[in-house]
Amino acid sequence: MSQAILAADRIVKRFAGHTAVDRLSLTVPRGVIYGLLGPNGAGKTTTIRMIMNVIVPDEGTVRLFDAPGTARDFSARIGFLPEERGLYPKMRVLDVLLFLAETRGVDRRSARVKALQWLERLGLSDWRMRKVSDLSKGMQQKVQFISTVLHEPDLVILDEPFSGLDPVNAQVIRDTILDWARTGRTVLFSTHIMEHAEQICDHVCIIARGQKRVDGTLAEVKREHGGRHLSVAFDGANGGAAQVFADRRLVAKVEDFGQYAELELTPTADAQEILKALVASGARLAKFELVAPSLHKIFIDLVGADAARPDARPEVARA
Amino acid sequence: MRKVLAIIRREFIERVRTKWFWVGTILGPLLMVGLIGFQILLAGRRGGDRRIVVVDGTTTAFGQHLVRQLQTNVPRFHLARVPTRAGVADSLLTEVVGKQLDGFLLVSDSTIDFGTAEYRGSNVSSIADMEELQGTLRRLVFAARLERRGIDTLLVRQAEIPLRLATHKISGTKLTGESGEQSFMVGFGMAILLFVAILIYGVNVMSSVLEEKTTRVVELLISSLRPFQLMVGKVLGAGAVGLVQLTVWVGSARLLSGAKYRVAGATAGAGFTFPNIPTTTLLVFVLYFLLGYFLYAAIYAAVGAMSSTESEARQAQVPVQLLLMIPYVSFFALLNDPNSSLAVWMTMIPFWSPIATPVRWGATPIPVVQMVASIGFLVVAVLVVTWLAARIYRVGILMTGKRPNLKEMVRWIRAG
Repeated sequence: MSQAILAADRIVKRFAGHTAVDRLSLTVPRGVIYGLLGPNGAGKTTTIRMIMNVIVPDEGTVRLFDAPGTARDFSARIGFLPEERGLYPKMRVLDVLLFLAETRGVDRRSARVKALQWLERLGLSDWRMRKVSDLSKGMQQKVQFISTVLHEPDLVILDEPFSGLDPVNAQVIRDTILDWARTGRTVLFSTHIMEHAEQICDHVCIIARGQKRVDGTLAEVKREHGGRHLSVAFDGANGGAAQVFADRRLVAKVEDFGQYAELELTPTADAQEILKALVASGARLAKFELVAPSLHKIFIDLVGADAARPDARPEVARA
Repeated sequence: MRKVLAIIRREFIERVRTKWFWVGTILGPLLMVGLIGFQILLAGRRGGDRRIVVVDGTTTAFGQHLVRQLQTNVPRFHLARVPTRAGVADSLLTEVVGKQLDGFLLVSDSTIDFGTAEYRGSNVSSIADMEELQGTLRRLVFAARLERRGIDTLLVRQAEIPLRLATHKISGTKLTGESGEQSFMVGFGMAILLFVAILIYGVNVMSSVLEEKTTRVVELLISSLRPFQLMVGKVLGAGAVGLVQLTVWVGSARLLSGAKYRVAGATAGAGFTFPNIPTTTLLVFVLYFLLGYFLYAAIYAAVGAMSSTESEARQAQVPVQLLLMIPYVSFFALLNDPNSSLAVWMTMIPFWSPIATPVRWGATPIPVVQMVASIGFLVVAVLVVTWLAARIYRVGILMTGKRPNLKEMVRWIRAG
């Protein structure tokens, strides 16, 4: 695994009464955008905090850059956006950026040059001498994002980078993350909004209740866990489509909207048989398409049941 | 280390930029100048003119002698002498009521015999006026009694010369130019300054810790610095601000020190001398400020770390403040008897010595052994307390919610 920029090995974190993260292993290859996905309370933030050594795992190890040492030892090479954002409200924007860059080991002069470039890029130049508390929430988020990448880290770890951003600013941050990854850097970010992950992730890892449910490249995950999906639309008459959809040998699941339906095929089913059956039943088809499932659907299928249940539960005996 | 420097720098710059820093820094010297001005004003006020009549009921020349003596002693008194007769007190009373007269003094032979005299006037509440009258009377009565026993008048005149007790503090083997009153002022000034400075800058450290905790900046900082580095940086940064401010304060006191301020046109020797502050006293003061500050700042950092809100922290710091208050309120006892066992103990106990030792130093020479022990204990305490505080700090800064109880704190200290 010499390619891994970050490898967590069976990390465990217990809080009073429950296990927040349970023997979770992650491997983040160099140069990818890695999405850590999960419902609220799944253990995403706890995992990230353990990676950042803000809290120490009860068990297991985190290895960064394939070398010994904690995130603190590599602080110059890691950018970190914590879930709970925070900047000094009374400091000037530029001063905050310089200070945080300094704590990451950048000297003030080059930090200043870069900070001004970034402020320009994200449209905050006019605000550089204003106090942080004068900025709107969205602007503060952008300032915080700048502080995460100002020291040009190899690995950027973002906890819920899009939360609290309007679509325009979310787009700006998304583009920046993509640009960043294009220069060969690695991005790990957590989110519970699958659309964001689907748009930019190369790799995903879905966790629920502190445990990994699935991980791999986005394509792999879709192939293995999505099943085969069929999107059917009718042109007026749907004939005997209802009977065809009810055939459990072919169709595992159906969402029938009358003029439109989404089917999940059984593993052995052949889409052509359904097409034949539909035509034979007298349905007029406007669309018949084999589609890859959305990440959203995979996510709901995998963790939907868990997410609906309260996540704080008494410690259960582990197998 | 560069990261620690960044913390120190931020702590210093952000504090110096606030207007409270400037207000505090400038207010200190202004207060001192104001104090001098006030003293001068008081000295000047003493010189009001008084019209006083001496009602002479003596059969000797005592009355005349008294008027002459008062006139020379107190030039601002305008005196007249009338012999006793019926109704004189009443007519003088109407003059006092009519503000033509400030008062009148009744003397008779019994003044010399039994030491009784009477003054009626509108200025009886003026301590200065009454002291002048009483003092002159006392000396004259004393002289008159001696004279009666046939003692040489020249001798008596010499005996009349009032005694002035000049107090000079002995420090080590040499006599200092410091008077008792001045060393009291120096001690008092140091006690206030130390108490206020240690408290203010300690609380500054606490609120700075709390700010990072409540804004969650701390999570970011902790991912690049060790908690200990962060805490030390904070303590040093806020301490540097304190040192600058104290330097301005003490420096201006030094400039004023030893100089005499005379009131233009003041009558008697009314002048005010700002106490002289010897360099060694200054050194002791600065040393104990620094050590005391480090000790308390570490405690305050821990208090800030284990609180979640400003009001919670204010509550939690009360015991710390009380601890620091003990030597401050013992200040009179320390000056009254600077070699009592209480004073010696206070010099030794690290939580108290930062205030007690400089105050005691200002009052009396402290044996070298005691000084060495005092500084030694304090340094050890600073190291131990910083170590303990850092452990509480490390766990506390990431905690939210309920403040820990003593048992939990012990667990934090023990943890890894």
